Amino acid sequence: MNPLLSQFLAEANDLLASVDEGLLQLERVPGDPELVNEVFRAAHTFKGSSGLFDFPELTRLTHAAEDLLDQVRGGRLALDSGMTDDLLAAFDLIRGWLAHVTAHERLPASAGNDAAGLITRLRAPLGGEEAGPTSASAGPARVISAAPQWLAWFDAEWLTETAGWLATTASTLRFVWYTPDTDCFFRAEDPLHLIRQVPALDKLNVVQPQTWPTPEEYDEYACLLSFAVATRAAVGELEYLFRYVPDQIEIVELDADAITRHLSGEPPLHVEEPVTAAFVPMIDSELAADARAVLHAAHRALTMEGVVTEGTRLRSVRHAVTAAAGALGVPVALAEAGPAELIEAVVRLAGEAAPAPVPAAVAVEPVERREERADERRADDPGGQVGTRVLKVDQEKVDRLMELVGELNVAKNGLTFLADAAEEEFGSRVLSRRIKDQYAGLHRIAEELQAAVMDVRMLPLSVAFGRFPRLVRDLSRRLGKTIELVTEGEDTMADKDVIEALGDPLVHLVRNSLDHGIEPSDERVAAGKAPAARLTLAAVADGDAVIVEVSDDGRGVDPERVKRKAYEKGLISEEELETLSDSEAVDLVFRPGFSTADQVSDLSGRGVGMDAVRASVEKLGGAVTMKSKFGQGTYTRLRLPLSMAVTQVMVVSVSGQRFGIPVDLVVETVRVPVAEMGRVLHQDVVMMRGEVVPVIDLARVLDMPWAPGEGEDRRILVVSVNGQRIGLLVEAFHREVDVILKPMEGLLAYADEFSGTALLGDGLVLLVLNMKEVLGLAARVA
Amino acid sequence: MTSDTATRARVLVVDDAATVRLYHNSLLSEAGFEVSEAANGLEAVEASLSAEFDLYVVDVNMPKMNGYTCVETLRSETVGTAAPVVMISTEDRPGDADRAYQAGANLYLVKPVAGDRLVRVATMLTAGREEAA
Repeated sequence: MNPLLSQFLAEANDLLASVDEGLLQLERVPGDPELVNEVFRAAHTFKGSSGLFDFPELTRLTHAAEDLLDQVRGGRLALDSGMTDDLLAAFDLIRGWLAHVTAHERLPASAGNDAAGLITRLRAPLGGEEAGPTSASAGPARVISAAPQWLAWFDAEWLTETAGWLATTASTLRFVWYTPDTDCFFRAEDPLHLIRQVPALDKLNVVQPQTWPTPEEYDEYACLLSFAVATRAAVGELEYLFRYVPDQIEIVELDADAITRHLSGEPPLHVEEPVTAAFVPMIDSELAADARAVLHAAHRALTMEGVVTEGTRLRSVRHAVTAAAGALGVPVALAEAGPAELIEAVVRLAGEAAPAPVPAAVAVEPVERREERADERRADDPGGQVGTRVLKVDQEKVDRLMELVGELNVAKNGLTFLADAAEEEFGSRVLSRRIKDQYAGLHRIAEELQAAVMDVRMLPLSVAFGRFPRLVRDLSRRLGKTIELVTEGEDTMADKDVIEALGDPLVHLVRNSLDHGIEPSDERVAAGKAPAARLTLAAVADGDAVIVEVSDDGRGVDPERVKRKAYEKGLISEEELETLSDSEAVDLVFRPGFSTADQVSDLSGRGVGMDAVRASVEKLGGAVTMKSKFGQGTYTRLRLPLSMAVTQVMVVSVSGQRFGIPVDLVVETVRVPVAEMGRVLHQDVVMMRGEVVPVIDLARVLDMPWAPGEGEDRRILVVSVNGQRIGLLVEAFHREVDVILKPMEGLLAYADEFSGTALLGDGLVLLVLNMKEVLGLAARVA
Repeated sequence: MTSDTATRARVLVVDDAATVRLYHNSLLSEAGFEVSEAANGLEAVEASLSAEFDLYVVDVNMPKMNGYTCVETLRSETVGTAAPVVMISTEDRPGDADRAYQAGANLYLVKPVAGDRLVRVATMLTAGREEAA
């Protein structure tokens, strides 16, 4: 994709987001001039940029939206919710188009039809459709009347078809004739590459020379081909693409008429002299037109009351008039001219310049100038950036940096293995200590680097919360409920992966609240509550974790109903039905296969329930809990790590094979004499500070051939999973390491007992255990 | 034929749309101008205080300080820039051009401006910059 288009797409994203946000805020604070202005400006900027490309429907739709906003801004119209709906729909449509543009570099074929109804609706409050095509946005009319002779290279059938298509569509077509210099290869030009990059290409003809040189004269380093291209790309894009070879291309825009006339045999433009001869005079007349425009501007400025009197303004007008006169080939001396003399000079110049054709010698001058400048650009500098202090960086680059930090960590960890080897294998304790010192220094730098990169990856929670005002608005309308959304702590930062992964669970929770939790207004009033419900999204940082809370003041969860439902579905036993406390009952909603809605609603019920929320949160290394008071509301709390990039694991080994266990889960490591081990109901246990802790034999669970030696102390790693303490019998403990966890891929993707792999400093691959699954496995093995 | 900075005309491209800035910047850079960018009127005025430009290409509708105010400020006695100003806007209503001239612009063009036209106008307006200085 050309850089101009990708810049446009990136910018469009930001602009559309601020339009959406502004429109939603406007519903709350109707008519706020600051907000209206903000929305208008974003739409306006977007329209301005879109005009650089040939997206006529896009520009027309944005234009309609902008006109409506302009009326609102001017106080001539009050924005009602119908208009807001139309505006939101328009920008939604545009967002869809842009996704299409991202993939195909053109608008979808249905764009015209899709936009038509919206444009009519947007224009309705303004008194109907704007008369005629939008002159302001369509750009200068560039359709020329006669086809150039090289149009003959396109086959007649295709041209006929195209003329027919052009007659019925708003799209326009440009034709490019590109004749690379014969020695272009020596100037590092690559015609084929250029042609390949032509956006929205409709037709390409590679034109061979009329006669090929004889084999003796043939020079394979000479470019003899020409290219005739038809494209829907805008002139601006094409000029940008061919900016290094402006003298070798000719761009014309033809309408259906011009093509038809060409087909019916009308003598082509510039018959005997091809491209270059036609190029120069065109520049002449255009330059003269620009010069006259400058003169006209000067005249207006000079004759408007009190605009130009003296000083800077006078000097600037004097300068512009001198420049225009120079371009017209009529140099003037205006060194000390006052306003009156300037007006006189402008009138005289305009009179002279208008009828007389421009002397050729003078008019060619700017062309040479361009060539001269073209050489200068070889040593160009990128040009200063004024006032830009925020860098927008491609996400992939940050990910790459993070990967490198990970590799650095692995290499760094290698030093500790080296230190061990120095001491154990080579018997040099001094060397070992010096390596460890080095390691300590490197470790500090690596940690700082890691923190710095992670900081770059941090995004505010507002990114995750951003979609909810719209979602809540749309859903509450459909449900006929009145809901006030409150967000708190949007500035809390978390890693972008966490933020991204948080999206779906949050949507699910919010939809659940809207659909099941919050009552209709009349029911609320009957229950003595305010008619408008309150839904709160709050985020707060808590050490290495971020806590996100979703709460509502709706009807809450009915523990009796939940228990009954769970019993009917066979999720709990009859005994549990009797004994479960209310809070335990609420927790049942997280059980797989549970759904409280009697009917699956089209909003939240999609076959995935709260169990999916819990699963995805736990996959992030987080936890989710729900509290509810029947009749008063529900409160769901997600606790997530601030960053998923680096995991600290404790390394243990069984049968010589090492495994990692997330340090967050580890409670302690203990050595227990055999005599203190006990057995309860076929389960090995150990008594720790008065608590019975079940002990699981990791070797047995993972089917590894190892058993502890007779009478040898048992090494037990105590972990805490779901609030329960469990001991793992292992062969040996090793150190804690920081690793970048890579998910299991390929065939191993289904090995649920492992949450991922990590590379250790000595090159070995560490399997990191998913404790929850391992415990499940243990239950099945036993 | 040297690319000596002193001989290259300096242009400040002022527009809040990054796409438009990139478009104008690359067209003018390719044509041999030394181009700087500013994202609104205020940045443009700040830039004009710390560096001299031979041409300003200014958008109209911008946050913080719009194009008209920006050009008026450039022309005020405190800043005192006599360098040519081309204003470029999507607005094409009667009176828009006059407002630009009133502010002190030397030319008013309607977006999108064809690449060759922008380069042509820039070349023309910076042709006699030594005399003007």
